[in-house]
Amino acid sequence: MNKKNNLPESNRRDFLKNTSLATMMAMMGGVELRAEDAAKSTPAPDSGLTKIPPAPPINVGVVGLGDWGRQILGTLAILNTAREKPSAPVAAICDTYHAAIRRGGKDAPNAQSYEDYTKLLADPNVQAVIIATPTGTHREIALAALAAGKHVYCEAPLANTMDDAKAIAKAARDAVKLVFQPGLQQRSHPQIQFLLPYIRSGALGKNIMVRAQWHANTSWYHAAPTQEREDALNWRLRNATSTGLFGEEGIHQMDTVSNFLRGRPSAVTGFSSMMRANVNNRETPDTVQAVFEYPHGVQFFHDLTICNSYEKTCEVYLGDEAAMMMRDFKAWLFKESNAALGGWEVYARHDTFYDATGIALVANASKQTTLSGSAESFHPYEHEPLYYALDAFTSKAGWQNKEVKEYEEYYPDADAQTLLDHLKTVPALTSKPAANWQDGLDATVMAITANQAAIKKQKITFEKEWFEL
Amino acid sequence: MRIPTWSAAALAVCLASALQAGAQTRYNTQPVGNSVRVNGTSTAHDWEMDGSLIGGYIEFGAGVTLDKSQSAPAGLQDGKIPATAYVHIPVGSIHAKVDHLPEVMDSLMQKAMKAENFPRIDFTLKEMTFKAPHTAGKPFDMEVAGQLVIAGVTNNASFPVTLEPLDGGKIKISGSAPVKMTAYGVPPPAPNFGLGLMRCGDDVKVSFDWTLKEKIKEKK
Repeated sequence: MNKKNNLPESNRRDFLKNTSLATMMAMMGGVELRAEDAAKSTPAPDSGLTKIPPAPPINVGVVGLGDWGRQILGTLAILNTAREKPSAPVAAICDTYHAAIRRGGKDAPNAQSYEDYTKLLADPNVQAVIIATPTGTHREIALAALAAGKHVYCEAPLANTMDDAKAIAKAARDAVKLVFQPGLQQRSHPQIQFLLPYIRSGALGKNIMVRAQWHANTSWYHAAPTQEREDALNWRLRNATSTGLFGEEGIHQMDTVSNFLRGRPSAVTGFSSMMRANVNNRETPDTVQAVFEYPHGVQFFHDLTICNSYEKTCEVYLGDEAAMMMRDFKAWLFKESNAALGGWEVYARHDTFYDATGIALVANASKQTTLSGSAESFHPYEHEPLYYALDAFTSKAGWQNKEVKEYEEYYPDADAQTLLDHLKTVPALTSKPAANWQDGLDATVMAITANQAAIKKQKITFEKEWFEL
Repeated sequence: MRIPTWSAAALAVCLASALQAGAQTRYNTQPVGNSVRVNGTSTAHDWEMDGSLIGGYIEFGAGVTLDKSQSAPAGLQDGKIPATAYVHIPVGSIHAKVDHLPEVMDSLMQKAMKAENFPRIDFTLKEMTFKAPHTAGKPFDMEVAGQLVIAGVTNNASFPVTLEPLDGGKIKISGSAPVKMTAYGVPPPAPNFGLGLMRCGDDVKVSFDWTLKEKIKEKK
């Protein structure tokens, strides 16, 4: 156990060892260290390196065509045009509301339309299903999709209740031939992947605390032509159908914090308020705060509101040697005066925030072209997190289909465990990081519990079995 | 003529034994206990690729029994074991054993081996020779010869293997074969990583452990 940074199993030497190739390449010729490019590994034309072969394409069906469902369709359209051949053609779309299908169809003109998700699941042309419906419907659709032999991307949180979340996680765990990915998209973002070993290596010193905020000026309210449609659209406003701000927005930050701290919280204390005049009969609080207690005395302070957008979204990790701020998938390191310098900081991009100077941790900070412009205008990554998450999902699903087919051809009598063991050895299935069913269950349990703690304004201790199947 | 019941039973037992003695024994590949390792060199460092998919079968001729407590397998003919075997390994199932971007090495090797057109490495057994002496309880030493097909090019190949009878009707065949890549039209990969050219050596060693199980004859 590394007592200094509260983080076992990893140290700075490991970090340097694991990134030595990239580091060396950067030193030799200014090659970008950005994780995105490492993942693509596109060689110079005369380098002799070949591109990593693209994953076999996978036909996708999207269920739920609200705002987020259409965002998913738009992102799939970008993903499909990014390669020589579409990697994830949208074969089918589904929504219970006809106007939503019509709008969604603009981004998927060749897709078959369904108003009943069971018909989409019965479509043999659909190999993978993306579920973007209200949280309370995830269980029914996810279980049916896995039973129908479809790969599943299920938006986060997995469910509104622990029972539903566990049912989905169990079905996902047991479906060894299929890929299941919860919509914890930050897990797939190259910036997170770049920072993960850095933070875990103890670069901040001993972890002190974490702060995260999600601030927006909005209402979550959707007007609709009929009361029935309005009720359907505004499921986020009802406690019976929503896990509130923690579930719908905060879950991504909770997941990232647990990922960086490599652990689960032992308890959460919540607070909530309805700060705005309640004109839409909303039940879910518009402002919430929580304190999560992690091992080694590390507390995670989380606050979310839809009443004020000041500083929007950011996360700050504080250690006894440095602090790291993440914002818009950019990160800056603020070193304490007593912290040792590594040398590389001299060449990195520096940005000033009031009276503090942050050293950019975007990995390609040594490249001259990144040294200009303001901290706000500097965008090192081309795509939104959803792009990387869907890229990982469709890529894994494509490779998984190929690997399972080949394995069954060779070993038709093999049991599920030996297949699972084999799949773990296939690099293509792990090359694009993504959340798995356990990550989805963990984050969902945290979100549900934080929401309950906030509504009740009390402390709730997490039971170990809540996270287990 | 009436045949006494006891005579009919005895006849049936004798007939069954005769059929058993005269029957070939086929062993099919099993999902557990298989590994393929390719070890090579380069101007930078040695490298290794691993896989776990091995398909195929081995069929022993009539009278062959493999009892490792004996000094030699029964059923030898002029020191050779009458057997046929066909082994195939999917090229795409062999992966580079490196922490950083194994897919790049995989891709290089698959391209060099023309995996798109020749997705399998095949070996067809022509001859299996027992190598005496055998220490009771240890695996049998053999020399196998056959045709090895890589990247669509066929060459004769021979290499030593060990054959170990296991519990539960299983056997394990292990061995390693030297392979010169250019003999199969495979150019040794020479990727340019920007720091200079890294050239792989022409000679590689292919090692394997292959576990098979006796096929139970179906009742008719």
